[in-house]
Amino acid sequence: MKKKMVSAMLVFAMTVSLGAMTAGAEEDQVIRVGAVCAMTGGSAVYGEGAQNAIDMAVEEINASDAEYKIEIINGGKVADDAKDAKQAVNAYNSLMAEEPEAIVGSFFSSVTLPMAELAADDNMLLLATGATNYQVTQIGPTIFRNCFIDPYQGKMAAAFAKDQGYTKAAIIYAKDDDYSNGLKDAFVESAEANGIEVVYVGECTTTDTDFTAQATQAVGSDADFVFYPCFLDTVPLLVQQVRDAGFEGAIMGGDGWDGADTTGLEDYFENCYFTNHYSSEDTAPAVQEFVSKYTEKYGSDSLNACAALYYDAMYMLEEAAVNGGGSDTASLVKGMTGMKFSGVAGDIYLDENGDAIKPVVVNTYEDGQIKWLKTIAPEE
Amino acid sequence: MSILIQSIVNGLNQGAIYALIALGYTMVYGILRMINFAHGDFIMVGAYTMFYTVPLMVSYGMPAWLAVVAAVAVCTAVGVLVERIAYKPVRNSGSISALITALAMSLFLENLAMVLFGGNPKTVTKIFDLPMIEVFGAKIQMKYLLTLGIGLAIMVALTLFVRMTKLGKAMRAVPQDREAATIVGINVDRIITITFAIGSALAAVAAMMYVSTYPRCTTDMGSMMGIKAFIAAVLGGIGVIPGAMLGGIIVGLIEILVKVYLAPGWYEAITYGILIVVLLIKPSGILGKNTGEKV
Amino acid sequence: MSMPKKIKRNYMLNLLGVLLLFFALFALFETGVLGSRSSYFMGIATTACYTIIMVTSLNLLVGILGEFSLGHAGFMSVGAYASAIVTNALADQKIPTFGLFLIALLAGGVAAGIMGVLVGIPTLKLRGDYLAIVTVAFAEIIRVAFTNFQITGGGRVMSGIAKLSNFYWVFWVTVICVTVMYLFIRSRFGRTVKAIREDYIAAEASGVNVTFYKVMTFTISAFFAGIAGSIYAHYMTAMIPTSFNFNYSAEFLTEVIIGGTGSMTGSIIGAAFLSALPEAMRTFAKYRMLGYSVVLVLIMIFRPGGIFGTWEFSLGRALDRLTGKSKKEVPENE
Repeated sequence: MKKKMVSAMLVFAMTVSLGAMTAGAEEDQVIRVGAVCAMTGGSAVYGEGAQNAIDMAVEEINASDAEYKIEIINGGKVADDAKDAKQAVNAYNSLMAEEPEAIVGSFFSSVTLPMAELAADDNMLLLATGATNYQVTQIGPTIFRNCFIDPYQGKMAAAFAKDQGYTKAAIIYAKDDDYSNGLKDAFVESAEANGIEVVYVGECTTTDTDFTAQATQAVGSDADFVFYPCFLDTVPLLVQQVRDAGFEGAIMGGDGWDGADTTGLEDYFENCYFTNHYSSEDTAPAVQEFVSKYTEKYGSDSLNACAALYYDAMYMLEEAAVNGGGSDTASLVKGMTGMKFSGVAGDIYLDENGDAIKPVVVNTYEDGQIKWLKTIAPEE
Repeated sequence: MSILIQSIVNGLNQGAIYALIALGYTMVYGILRMINFAHGDFIMVGAYTMFYTVPLMVSYGMPAWLAVVAAVAVCTAVGVLVERIAYKPVRNSGSISALITALAMSLFLENLAMVLFGGNPKTVTKIFDLPMIEVFGAKIQMKYLLTLGIGLAIMVALTLFVRMTKLGKAMRAVPQDREAATIVGINVDRIITITFAIGSALAAVAAMMYVSTYPRCTTDMGSMMGIKAFIAAVLGGIGVIPGAMLGGIIVGLIEILVKVYLAPGWYEAITYGILIVVLLIKPSGILGKNTGEKV
Repeated sequence: MSMPKKIKRNYMLNLLGVLLLFFALFALFETGVLGSRSSYFMGIATTACYTIIMVTSLNLLVGILGEFSLGHAGFMSVGAYASAIVTNALADQKIPTFGLFLIALLAGGVAAGIMGVLVGIPTLKLRGDYLAIVTVAFAEIIRVAFTNFQITGGGRVMSGIAKLSNFYWVFWVTVICVTVMYLFIRSRFGRTVKAIREDYIAAEASGVNVTFYKVMTFTISAFFAGIAGSIYAHYMTAMIPTSFNFNYSAEFLTEVIIGGTGSMTGSIIGAAFLSALPEAMRTFAKYRMLGYSVVLVLIMIFRPGGIFGTWEFSLGRALDRLTGKSKKEVPENE
């Protein structure tokens, strides 16, 4: 109706003011990269890690004699998706306005899927960092990821449980989360083949703080292994409550555990494990350098799997440019398809879908500190 | 059998924490007829204060729980400031404006905390080092009893305060007729500020018991706990002090029992379902007084 | 004041205004004035459009019925999921996209409307804060249900929904929805609902079936929320039930109040303004949401009745004033 006029004027005013800032020229040896992650809201810790890791990686690459340099558009800032699909789409579009050659992100499947849909239409290279839902890379040939896909870690966890001689597993997973569902399904699927009986499956939500009901039942079901594929914020709560309920077996999670705070719970975290992309204890120079440099610069508060994945993403793009022979999107896609890459998160091979095939690291804890336990090479 | 007893124990503990938070909601609603959505965020402020002050207390050789003094001070200050700066100007613009202001304040506090403390969840140092006892195969932590005890004590104290003291009587007069209260010499502004001070101080105590059970603070912890606790307050009868306690315990018990025996994925839906049923049968909540509407 | 001739003139003017706006936007997005920014602004404009439908539909409850709902995102999600299920089922039927889009809108609207009846009948005997709480409870139940149902993804992201919502269609859908709601308010039905808001006991005493009118208003409001939901689903192409949470509902209510209770103008501008605000603040990075909340608090402190109160913008009146024809004006919306 007529009242629209004013809103139109509003949009128009914004248009004019923002349109004026549009960046233009592109240099040949510079890869223009846009990054997206959750910078505000409940998952902002990932954004913090992502921003730090990107700053660090870009600084390193640009200071080195690498053939291609990286420029993070949006003034060097990671665009915020607030873990919300609507904002993710806007973040993607706002980055696209600056004509990037590649976009990195985001960390959650629920916000990455709508972005991937747009990226496929725009023929834009999207390197997802944490979106583990298997559908993400199916959307188009320009979409890649450097994290595991859901089924992989669940399978590895089941194999690990068997290795350690556990036979009865209880699972507690967040019903309202993509990642958690994916790991749970994969674990259940591969449990039988590994001779593990799933004796209890407990549901929770991503916002829960009380797990006593599930803990009591897990203990009551006589399990000797608890699988908890959720994110770092609830991990200390779960571990504490499961232990308080009298559970003495192993508790295991996925890469979502990386960065979980163990302060004051050192004893509780004994006999806990999680699969990850890397181990901060790994002796590989790349990992050591990353961990020590990151901790020195930003502390260990936001040092988690997310930071490592964004860090690697920068180096992957640089290498893709070298492989593809150019910094434009088409060359980057060409260079990234089937890429073999060695970084903090291990030796990655990008398969025909654009999914990362890479070794999985199993970590444990000692006095609350993460300890490397073993690295399982990817299966062919 | 031991699972049942254990679940009831767990439910009571969770319920006691909801009850402590619900007391704050009910207090403010009872006097102001306003849903203070920022109350959960006062809890968050209290929790972060505990996070920073507990280690200080310990390093000075004082008992860790004394940190609650700091939390009470900070929460009260924040509560009174919020009331003075944001709520007071909208007090006469209708309940819905007040509600939106409260929602905006809640958003503000959360985002401010995000800027100040960062996004990483913080683990609070252990506050109580209490033993655990076993009864009929159920593990009862003594801090559960402490939570319940503190909740009951506050409930009794608040009830007595509101019933017996002069200030309490003035507080009860304000919601009944603000104008008449002014006429008989009650300083309404002062009463409301005091109400907020008490409500926020309660939030600090609730925060202490919360972080001693769930030793973690995040910037959005308040809004999550807050809405549950608020539901508890409504269920028990909002504005009625013992109602908050009862509602909290009921919600806590239902949640745990549903998770164990019924459908774990549906536990929130069942809690809300029960709330709806109770409100439809008795709109003022379980302990609330039904007041007929004047024509 | 309301002579038929004048009304007719106003409607013509409105249509003209909307057409002008449409062509202005069309020119803006298609001629490349915005350069590479056009898809960004088109995205924001699309978001603004379905938010406008959400907020005006919520304003039917808040402004006209005088009750407020803190669970409007629940109806939106019903529309979003229902329409996505329908279009997924029809994906192989070779229906032209525009037809499919209309089917999606209808499916979303009807599903949410049915939900509106189901929620409305038991709850509408409650009033004020209590009704608000019950709407929160229903929205949460809907969210939990969608997390558990397999057909809605079972807690995982439902993805691969056809991308049907393009801005130009969405624009006209928004215009039609807002017009229908506006006509509804102006109708005899709408006036009766307003009478109920003013004094439901008196209305009841004069023989008005209060419950019927309340439930109908609630249903209509839910119906439009469902339409907005289907636009959302076919714009995002992927969604997860946790997106339709309490905070999202609270956002819509905030937009109604910031715009001005009972003012359609306010709702439209409130929705457009507040959905653009977080975007305009992108440069502030992590201070962005802090800034947003500060703006909200400030508006509530200085304009507690909302920016527009109950004032309605009228193109006809504005023209009259410009051409100096204006006589003494009576507020259009009392």
